[in-house]
Amino acid sequence: MQSIILILVLIAALLVVASGVWVAAALLRAIARPKTDPDSNSRTERRMDGRQQPDDSPHPRNLHE
Amino acid sequence: MNPALSAIVVFAYLAALVFVALRARVARDFDEFSVARRALPLALIFGSIAATYVGPAFSIGFVGRGFHSGFLFLCVGSAYAVQNILVGLLVAPRLRELKGCFTLGDAFGQKYGRKAQIIAGLISLGICTGFSAVMIKAGGVVLTDTFGLPTWLSVSLIAVITASYTTFGGLRASVITDAFHFALFAILLPVTLLCAMFFHFKGGPAAFSAEAPIATLNGLRSTPAIEIVGLTAAFLLGETLIPPYANLALASRTSKVSKNSFIIAGIFSILWFAVMTATGIMARCIVPSDTPEDHVLLELVRSLMPIGGYSLLLVALISIVLSSLDSLLNAGAVVFTEDIVKPLTALSDRTALLVGRRATIVIATVAAVCVPAVPSIIGGLLICYTVWASAILPAAIIGLWLKNPRPLAGVLSMGVGTLVAIIAIATVSTPDFETKTRVTIIPALGAALAAYLIGHRFGKIKAGA
Repeated sequence: MQSIILILVLIAALLVVASGVWVAAALLRAIARPKTDPDSNSRTERRMDGRQQPDDSPHPRNLHE
Repeated sequence: MNPALSAIVVFAYLAALVFVALRARVARDFDEFSVARRALPLALIFGSIAATYVGPAFSIGFVGRGFHSGFLFLCVGSAYAVQNILVGLLVAPRLRELKGCFTLGDAFGQKYGRKAQIIAGLISLGICTGFSAVMIKAGGVVLTDTFGLPTWLSVSLIAVITASYTTFGGLRASVITDAFHFALFAILLPVTLLCAMFFHFKGGPAAFSAEAPIATLNGLRSTPAIEIVGLTAAFLLGETLIPPYANLALASRTSKVSKNSFIIAGIFSILWFAVMTATGIMARCIVPSDTPEDHVLLELVRSLMPIGGYSLLLVALISIVLSSLDSLLNAGAVVFTEDIVKPLTALSDRTALLVGRRATIVIATVAAVCVPAVPSIIGGLLICYTVWASAILPAAIIGLWLKNPRPLAGVLSMGVGTLVAIIAIATVSTPDFETKTRVTIIPALGAALAAYLIGHRFGKIKAGA
């Protein structure tokens, strides 16, 4: 029982660190994009992603997923 | 500790923060200021939700609770995870699907009419200002304790730094800087736990495993059942759909992103609470047993870490405060513009952006001025939770699910909920204020629900519905 508690706490700590790394990577992608005008940015993003934005996203630009 | 080294670490952190905020770019119109053009991806929405709810109470507070009552607060805190997951499954996608919504107040306007939108806007604005005052107080305490600055200067620094990037960048700047803050504290604090457990804890991991059940049993014996019920209710309802979360639900790229970000944030909260309470349990064998709850984390790090480590923790704590504060300031400004000014007068997009920016500065100033009135960090949060849960939640959640909700029900529920919550808080005596405030949420919420049912029974359907 006691070793299970320890293992669960260690897994929780590692998952929290992994979440931090995941969000940091998304942040770097978001701020690393070149500053261009919005329309060309949107076109570039679509080319890079190779897919269309969903219907309920009225202004698909600015950030990379 | 060495103040010069701390100052260097804090300066480096502020320089990085300025760089990130500048990269977030100035908001050019109200759509970008309020919902970041509804283009935010999953990782950033999740990071911003988690960075907003992990405030001083969910970090310093949980370590202190773990110190005294082991994993008891992990169980109580699981109500918070359940709340986030339920919002993700049932509420956030419905909110995101509403057309032309910038705030929760907009949803009230669509469901209950203009009058309800303005009332919801006023309550939201008051709550954002109240939460902001609590966060500024927490940040001020950290700066004052570390650098010995006068309280007024610490409070002013926190308010000015946060208001500056939120005013110009809007939600986008808030979310981007939240991601920066989240990455910092989500990496630094668990690393503190692991370092302490494997390199400093007397007896190592085995002693920790033995200490955990003892501390938890102590907590169960010393906490009255009614207090556990009140706290569980506060965790389950207190922060549900507060303006910053509603804005993030609306700013998501799609309904699916909105849903998943809340569900992941709920799961993350369990992991976070486990790490924080475990850190508190470890502190039981390292710091003196009479250490006040709010000082356990600082004392633990002071006794384990070198000076550089202590400075890094300081940065993590400032990050925790700023990431909650910027979201609250932006949400308050958007609510003021969208729910209070726009229903009363027509605004061009340019004017709306200007009003939003000025409102950010005014809310930060009012919150900073109100700091001396905040009883304590936990006490201030409990007041905000009680008012918000009873004033807004019944009308918001039922309204999103009913096809034709009655305007009278919404207005009555908000009015009665606010009134009963304020009266209940005002009648709580000063000694044991925090303990007694924990249970005021139950009668206030009951009164709001009863008022909603009465309004629904006797009210008429909104014209044109």
